[in-house]
Amino acid sequence: MVQNVTYLGFIPLLPLAGSLLVGLLYLYACRGKKGFPEKLYGLLGCTGPILSFFMAVKVYMSLQALPADDRFLHHKAYTWFASGELDVSMGFLADPLGAVMLLFVTFVGSLIHIYSIGYMKGDPRYGKFFAYLNLFLGSMLILVLGDGPVVMFVGWEGVGLCSYLLIGFWSEDKENVVAGNKAFIVNRIGDLGFVLGMGFLFWGIGADGFDYLSLKANAHHLTEPIGLVVCLLLFVGATGKSAQIPLYVWLPDAMAGPTPVSALIHAATMVTAGVYMVARFSFLYAHVPVAGEVVAWIGILTALLAAIFGMYQDDIKKILAYSTVSQLGYMFAGVGVAAYSAGIFHVFTHAFFKALLFLGAGSVIIALHHEQNIWKMGGLKSKLPTTYKTMLIGGLALAGCPPFAGFFSKDEILYSALATGHTSIWLIGVLVAGMTAYYTFRMIFVVFHGKPRDQEAFDHAHESPKVMTIPLVILALGSIFAGFCNLPKLFGGHLRFSHWLAPSLTEHHPHGGVGLELLAVGASVLAFAIGIGIAYRKFTVPVDEPVYRGFNKFGFNKFYVDELYHALIVAPYKFFGKAISRGLEPFIVDAPVQASGWLYKMAGLAFKVFQMGYVRIYAIYMVVGLSVMSLLISQSLN
Amino acid sequence: MLATYLFFGLAMLAVLGALGLILFKHPMNGAMSFVVTLISLAGLYALLSAKLIFAIQLIVYAGAIMSLILFIIMFLNIQEKDLPLDPNRMFYLAGGVVVVAPVAGLLIKIAKTIESEAPELAVGFGDVKEVGQLLFTDWLLPFEIVSILLLVALVGAVVLAGKRGVN
Amino acid sequence: MITNYLSLSILLFCLGILGVVSRRNVFIVFMSIELMLNAANLGFVAMARLHVNMDGHVLALMVMAVAAAEAALALAVIILLHKHKGNLDTNIFSLLKG
Repeated sequence: MVQNVTYLGFIPLLPLAGSLLVGLLYLYACRGKKGFPEKLYGLLGCTGPILSFFMAVKVYMSLQALPADDRFLHHKAYTWFASGELDVSMGFLADPLGAVMLLFVTFVGSLIHIYSIGYMKGDPRYGKFFAYLNLFLGSMLILVLGDGPVVMFVGWEGVGLCSYLLIGFWSEDKENVVAGNKAFIVNRIGDLGFVLGMGFLFWGIGADGFDYLSLKANAHHLTEPIGLVVCLLLFVGATGKSAQIPLYVWLPDAMAGPTPVSALIHAATMVTAGVYMVARFSFLYAHVPVAGEVVAWIGILTALLAAIFGMYQDDIKKILAYSTVSQLGYMFAGVGVAAYSAGIFHVFTHAFFKALLFLGAGSVIIALHHEQNIWKMGGLKSKLPTTYKTMLIGGLALAGCPPFAGFFSKDEILYSALATGHTSIWLIGVLVAGMTAYYTFRMIFVVFHGKPRDQEAFDHAHESPKVMTIPLVILALGSIFAGFCNLPKLFGGHLRFSHWLAPSLTEHHPHGGVGLELLAVGASVLAFAIGIGIAYRKFTVPVDEPVYRGFNKFGFNKFYVDELYHALIVAPYKFFGKAISRGLEPFIVDAPVQASGWLYKMAGLAFKVFQMGYVRIYAIYMVVGLSVMSLLISQSLN
Repeated sequence: MLATYLFFGLAMLAVLGALGLILFKHPMNGAMSFVVTLISLAGLYALLSAKLIFAIQLIVYAGAIMSLILFIIMFLNIQEKDLPLDPNRMFYLAGGVVVVAPVAGLLIKIAKTIESEAPELAVGFGDVKEVGQLLFTDWLLPFEIVSILLLVALVGAVVLAGKRGVN
Repeated sequence: MITNYLSLSILLFCLGILGVVSRRNVFIVFMSIELMLNAANLGFVAMARLHVNMDGHVLALMVMAVAAAEAALALAVIILLHKHKGNLDTNIFSLLKG
């Protein structure tokens, strides 16, 4: 039985209303010279997310009160469109999976909104920022709460749009705008896959209702080939949104946006939408193991590739960006080997520590007056103590150090890979874990330890205001304790998280035995230790910006993938476009339009002959007309 | 009998006068022919027992309006050299006849369908008294409006004639 | 019998149209218009005689009143035109040229 609750609709509505209100205020202020005080924007901008968070907690409590196999809250707002067999309504569904996503999206989202109050201080477009950020949160909540693929797609597109708007926020710099365009366009390519997948899904089993519950009930009707096509096409959409191979290229460029944007959109929430989507459609992916294999392999290969790139970057945000791509690869590896709850668990913990790392990086960037190159930083741990401590916690969590959150989630994924027989995936995963530790601590040691490389900037640096550091502390606490939600039996836990998620997912938990679990844990810890050890050896001695040669140079330039895409895809497309616009369009489009205008002009000139200006001639025209009329009437009178 | 002769005579005069109007070169000559037409028309009205209209035609049309026109013609002191050249006059006239012929044909065809015996007249048909009574009962509104029209024409004429300093 | 009157009215009317169309002299054009009005008057009075109804007479009266007003104004305009151009040709006024 599914309960009907109306307040579900308000959860996305509140941030959207906030966005509208702040946006209107900002537009109104733009007309005059005097603007509204920043505090007003900040207050209005944060109210929506915080209220949504409280409602999310309420949803969670309501779900908890229900019996375990019946945890669904549904709200159908209205029928959006019904044409033929397709009947789509704007509806919201809250089940355990949705509740989990809802909780951390609103929690981390609210914290980042509060952080932005301090980060964006002094920016003339303060109001616009909060309007866009609220719009993003509203769209993300629609995505998470949607009761069917179509409503999810509405949110999917909305977050893509807000990503574009926020990446190009400082639009006077052309590079930011180009990065925004790249993000949107690459996302669109993925979205095409998503739409095609939806189409095939409807064709297959959509006739009896196109929402998750109906689709899940009818999933066994889906034939193998169509199921495979649907899963792969939907995954194409996920590669676009969640930055996997081959559509990951937009995420590092997206770091051109303000850091809270990078934290919220490109670390904690939007990019995890792809993983959420695969988990939502677990009833499809569980039936088509081949699709799962594809997902897992692409995921782990992306993790490897991104980790390699991350080891060479010198922009603090780009390191974190590639780290995000890499961790997303882990998540897809998890859901690919049918360990859906493990993947979602990693989404959950990743939100905390990656948001923390990004916000901490933002704090560093602000302290050094918008310097982002790590080779110009150094020794900041004395100047930015809170930032340093929280980033250290975040780094440990990311690298997978027990007992921080990242260790448990990553370990769960790797163990699932091993237990389902995907040994090569497991091995690559362990290697990537080591690389993760290495690049994370490379960043931390270079930025915070040793001697300052730019003395002047160092002298001016100071710790960020409380409105920025308190979210850091809260997120650090989350990074420490979030892992304990899902302690496996090995450590005395009950896998509470996985059990909570069970009604939403079609999952079979692998049983590999204690030995296999110990092997997985041991390998992870070993990889972490080796990684951090190498980083310690290399970067705690005074070292300057290295010069890269050979393979290192290849890696530093990200394997020239961007250049390859540009040469293979972007340049021919642009050439094609120019060719059509110069060679074809003047003849096919411009010529007929101009010709019709010319035709009317000629007709006008022809008729101009009749208007000589002599009134007598006009009188003659009248008489001629009269006589013609009389002729006609005489004929008819005959 | 007498009526028929009178009719044809007066009709002949009217047509000749109209022809003179459209064929003479000098407007003075044309105006004089037109006066002949107007007077013969007045005679025709009398034949139709329209006593008041007969009188009004003579007084207003042939008397006032034509006098005004003749006065203006003479006032402008039109010499031979002022008259427009009009070389294509006959050609236009011929063309005009061709164009107007269908109109005339239609109208005559319509006119032929009307039952044409003149019925007995009531006493006092066409009298001043009868016309006056109609004017002030059935036709009161048009009467008032025409008076306003005349006022407007009066004011307009004064305004137009008072324009000074135009080139 | 009355048909004759109507035929005469029609003939005079067509002569009036001919005058408007074929002459360039402003006065002749104006008087041709008056001729057309008179032809209409004759038609009204003839029909009044036919139907023994005096409305035709009243209408003829109205037409004459209007003709008088129109004559006054038209002549004022003709005087102004003459002052402007010194010429009585309708062909020289071609400001309406498209």
